[in-house]
Amino acid sequence: MDSPVPYYPVNEFGPLMKGLVIGGVGIFHVFLAQFAIGGGMLLYYFERLGQRGVPDARTFVDSTFKVLVLVSFVVGALSGVAMWFTTIQVGARTIGLMIDEFHWLWATEWVWFGIEISAGYAFYRFGPTLDHKARRRLLAIYAIASWMSLFWINGILAWQLTPGRWLEGGGMWAGFFNPSFWPSLLFRTAVATTLAALVACIVINTMDLPRERKAALIRIASRFAVPMAVMPLLGMWFVAVIPADSRQWLMGGSMPMTMFVGVAAAASLLIGAYVVVGLVLKRLYINGATATLLLALAFGATAAGEFVREGARKPYTVRGVLYSTSITPAEVAALRIDGATKHDPYPLRDQARYPTPQLVHGAKVHRTLCDACHTLHGANAVVELTRTWTDDQLRLNISKLQRTKAFMPPFAGNAADVEAVVQLLRWEAAGTPARWPVSDDPATLAQIKTWLDEVGTSAAGEP
Amino acid sequence: MMWPFASPHSGWLVLYLLTFAVHIVLVSYVLAGTTYALIQALRKKQDPIAERARDLLPFMLGLGITAGVAPLLFIQLLYQQPFYTANLLLGPRWGAVVPALIVGFYALYLAKATQTLRIRRLALGVGVVCFSFVAWSWTEIHLLMQDQPAWREMYAAGDRMYAQTGVLPRLLLWLGAMMTLFATLAAWWAAAPERRRLAVIALAGRAVSALAVVLLVMGDATVISAAHGWLYLMIAAVAIEVAGWVWIRLAPDGAGLTLVTAASTAALLAGVVVREAPRLATIEPPRAAALEASGFPVFALTAVLGIALIVWIVRSIRDRAVPPS
Ligand code: HEC
Ligand code: HEM
Repeated sequence: MDSPVPYYPVNEFGPLMKGLVIGGVGIFHVFLAQFAIGGGMLLYYFERLGQRGVPDARTFVDSTFKVLVLVSFVVGALSGVAMWFTTIQVGARTIGLMIDEFHWLWATEWVWFGIEISAGYAFYRFGPTLDHKARRRLLAIYAIASWMSLFWINGILAWQLTPGRWLEGGGMWAGFFNPSFWPSLLFRTAVATTLAALVACIVINTMDLPRERKAALIRIASRFAVPMAVMPLLGMWFVAVIPADSRQWLMGGSMPMTMFVGVAAAASLLIGAYVVVGLVLKRLYINGATATLLLALAFGATAAGEFVREGARKPYTVRGVLYSTSITPAEVAALRIDGATKHDPYPLRDQARYPTPQLVHGAKVHRTLCDACHTLHGANAVVELTRTWTDDQLRLNISKLQRTKAFMPPFAGNAADVEAVVQLLRWEAAGTPARWPVSDDPATLAQIKTWLDEVGTSAAGEP
Repeated sequence: MMWPFASPHSGWLVLYLLTFAVHIVLVSYVLAGTTYALIQALRKKQDPIAERARDLLPFMLGLGITAGVAPLLFIQLLYQQPFYTANLLLGPRWGAVVPALIVGFYALYLAKATQTLRIRRLALGVGVVCFSFVAWSWTEIHLLMQDQPAWREMYAAGDRMYAQTGVLPRLLLWLGAMMTLFATLAAWWAAAPERRRLAVIALAGRAVSALAVVLLVMGDATVISAAHGWLYLMIAAVAIEVAGWVWIRLAPDGAGLTLVTAASTAALLAGVVVREAPRLATIEPPRAAALEASGFPVFALTAVLGIALIVWIVRSIRDRAVPPS
């Protein structure tokens, strides 16, 4: 297709907005994968203690915990593939850009994953028959390899939010070791060990041992949750390095985002406080139910954290490089002239629904420029957000999209595109009547064009 | 450089082809091995090949999936836009591949752990369905991504299936190849009488593939002339391999297995090049960002380290342990 902008066939996921889709798969994946990482470290630690004579430590290593780690890293890997496919669904151009830029690092991560799966499976299957040294080494390799996968993928993901000096031509490594690389790596490592500690507490509770001996194991396991105590600091570090506008949304600029930050922070604090005060200082016993509850809290925190990570990037999927609409900042100016849909080869699936060509056009513009973040009637529904507005208010606010809310990109189309979307929203709000007038008053279009020119083509945060 | 390795993409193309070949060997063991174990469970046969397969299958699936990620990476460098488009066109139907694999993975564990024949049959049956679905999906997406003229229509109609006539014979070709590849791998662990049986499976696999080739040629499939060298190499390798299987059938303890392994490796490698030939015409000009991407030295070093570590792991297991029976 000889279009300057690659157009992909867009799937509408109905009221389940795309962000929710990717958020859902992402949370599942991150939770499992991080548990598998922390679990590896915890197994190594218990193995060492067991070899030094700490009672029951070896029993724990060979308990169901080992199975959980194995299962979670296979399913973690599969959900990683699922992540990949979902990312293609919601933003093919974004993942394409990431692959282009970082494929050798991705390949590196893949090698580490291969090492991880080999060591993990070897230990799972042959562990009971191996000598001490071999067991220790296998677990060490497993733990290091799984953390190395995190190391590599973390840099690529962090780059999306804070490309840092990469934007000024600093090259791939500048993009990889970007401003949020270290805080997010440490943050995720702390989450990984905490998840492992909590699952370990649940498993220890199910072991067939007298209570004091279980308590002793639990005290050892809970050491892995201590990093949770520094989470607030890591969180603050992270917030300090992200772009100023993203920071504002997290800190009150956008209510949903602020709420997610609050949930993540509160849940982490609760877990941290319980662990440090209850388990480490007061040496309390934690029963299976409490551990499960804490784990559920941790799941909530992971979920909220992933939403924040996804949301903080808006209006970009790669900060400064690609908008959530899969259009680059440099392409906006040309689309202001050509229109957003001139080169889009894909028709509407529900074309017959619309009484006029202008509404068909409006639906296509919406699909190209708004669908990435909005639905018409479901989650973040534009029709509902604008139901009470006047026509001109709608025209003005859509033309000046990046000023309406800074987490929207500049409108990447021409005046006719704006008017088509306006008509679509009005028609939808009116209950999709069978007849609808065409709006092509030159004065209206001229006014829209003036607004578009006034606001320019840069994002809100930029000059 | 020899065709088709003379373009700026060649590095990626080589890695794509090699990792894809490894992927196919492993998933062949999974799909054909699960089917074999299912058939033996249905026949209530005590069979060392099936037992070994049941034992190894979850691990092999893990390896096969991991091996699949590598060609998945390189395909996005070689055919980014067509691959993504096909993904999007199939949409949620494509996404079903992952749940199918998760279900299949647990089914294999269950088949391994259970002592109850009925549950074992059920689990293996579920596994066969899941893995066949996955194989079919990959064949479908492979063809769809090359059929650009069909994209627009398919999107407009909201179709989630690409029911082009080539899909089924192509899948049949793969299923045959998978039987043969399974037999080749399994034969390395098998005693003489079992090898005889595996030889029959391998030969039957080649017959199935040959039938599929006939169907494809009747549906006017051709091989572009640039790829003819590889095609003849593949045919020659398959001929030697078939002779090797006959030899194994007659003298299972001889060097037949080494011959067969070498020949089928050659056939597989030549085959993946022939498979690539029609698609190479649609290959994208490499994007500047992708060509300029750094990091290769890190990858190469890690790969060397990785291979060393994995060899070490295998050796330390072999030296220090007896596998639990
Ligand atoms: C990068 C994601 C993104 C894109 C693309 C996007 N929006 Fe938004 N938009 C948002 C978010 C987030 C909100 C805030 C919703 C809220 O406050 O509840 C929003 C709010 C709005 C509002 C309400 C503003 C207000 O002040 O209440 C309108 C109107 C709107 N968007 C229209 C559009 C239209 C039309 C398009 C396509 C041309 C579009 N948006 C594209 C993310 C986006
Ligand atoms: C049991 C599970 C699987 C089976 C049976 C299977 C089978 C196949 C088959 C038969 C093909 C060839 C398609 C064709 O040429 O027509 C193929 C290709 C491929 N598979 Fe798998 N596969 C499995 C799992 C996976 C997974 C999990 C991944 C990714 C992580 C994967 C990645 C690939 C890739 C990238 C290709 C190449 C596609 C192309 O070149 O167009 N596979 N697979």
